[in-house]
Amino acid sequence: MTHPGFEAQLDAYLDGELAAADARGLEAHLTQCPECARFRDERLELRAAIAARIPAFQAPDVLRQRVRAALNTAARTRAPYRLSLRGAWRPLAMAASLAVVAFGSWNLSLRHAAGEALADDVLSSHVRSLMPGHLTDVLSSDQHTVKPWFNGRLDFSPPVYDFAGRGYPLLGGRLDYVDGRPVAALAYGRRQHLINVFLWPATRGPSGAPKTRDRQGYHLLHWTTPDYTYWVVSDLGVAELHDFAHLVQQGDSAAGVSSPR
Amino acid sequence: MDSSALTRFEAAVLPHLDAAYTLARYLVRNEHDAEDVVQDACLRALKYFDGFRGEGETSARAWLLTIVRNTAYSRKGRRRVDALTTEFDETQHSDTVVDEHPEGVLLQEDAKETLGRALDRLAPEFREVIVLRELEGLSYKEISEVAGVPVGTVMSRLSRARTRLQEALRNEEGS
Repeated sequence: MTHPGFEAQLDAYLDGELAAADARGLEAHLTQCPECARFRDERLELRAAIAARIPAFQAPDVLRQRVRAALNTAARTRAPYRLSLRGAWRPLAMAASLAVVAFGSWNLSLRHAAGEALADDVLSSHVRSLMPGHLTDVLSSDQHTVKPWFNGRLDFSPPVYDFAGRGYPLLGGRLDYVDGRPVAALAYGRRQHLINVFLWPATRGPSGAPKTRDRQGYHLLHWTTPDYTYWVVSDLGVAELHDFAHLVQQGDSAAGVSSPR
Repeated sequence: MDSSALTRFEAAVLPHLDAAYTLARYLVRNEHDAEDVVQDACLRALKYFDGFRGEGETSARAWLLTIVRNTAYSRKGRRRVDALTTEFDETQHSDTVVDEHPEGVLLQEDAKETLGRALDRLAPEFREVIVLRELEGLSYKEISEVAGVPVGTVMSRLSRARTRLQEALRNEEGS
């Protein structure tokens, strides 16, 4: 080819992707240059050959059925699994709550969308936990009861703290599902309010200070430590929410779990 | 997720299942793996559907194809799409239009190579632009979103891939 860069331009022209002014210049050239005109004709032949001989496929019926079934199952299991709540915490549960979620990695190119989807996931879990019977699987204010309860239920051992002395008593824990995997959920109280904590191991690097999102009247806090990623959801004031997040971070560093830089 | 959300997802995504399957077939070159890729991709898409709805500009089809593509690549043990982009964008690497199979080099000289085999022999970055353009009819802009590269790169890859296929076609006719 004697016209460098021409091929890609002509391809773009044949694909209808060339700007009008460029297209006109190119058409003028084609009328005068037999070599380029022949190239164009060959490209058109190629296009016809591809259309005739490179098939597009139809998804097999069995695949359609498989996909539908898998989607149905996935949509169902996105609802959280929980044991029933013993009556004591129902008034608290009906009041308000706070959720902290730690989570792992996801597709890089979809990170932003995934972050938003996760925030929605977290908020949904939070709201469901407020429904009667949905707050805790293990009901205990003793962190040494709650932490071992997760053994055999999760593939990690979540850090569990009691902040009763600071006005955030531990209420209990439960299993939840966020981002398609089982996570630890911890419930804390704050006066008449309820606090939920969810967490699972992070595979991404640590983030900075907690970031705040506001949705449907709830606040969500989110940060990542080298070990866990956290989300906090609450209708508490943002200041108290950050106070609580700070306690969790302090607890992490005291326990030897790295806190955010 | 409530059932109406699932219904909305199915209405947006399932019409593009043929396109998804076609792309997967050409990327993994195996019926069985292609079905697995499509199923995995649909589940991933379901998970990120809420995030997608806000994006507007991207069509549901291009969005699903993006996920299918990334699923296929991660299944093939490809590290990162970015790494491939750098590797294949350089014009001095024009030889890499042909896939890494050693026999691909030999087949380049083979007068009997068919058009279909030539497509198969293209490096995936070149094969996918052909499939997305010629079979799926995506615009350059959409292809750039699916492949995660600039429009200019789409344009040059497409042109080089076509030149390669044209050689195969010419050899075929000459044989």
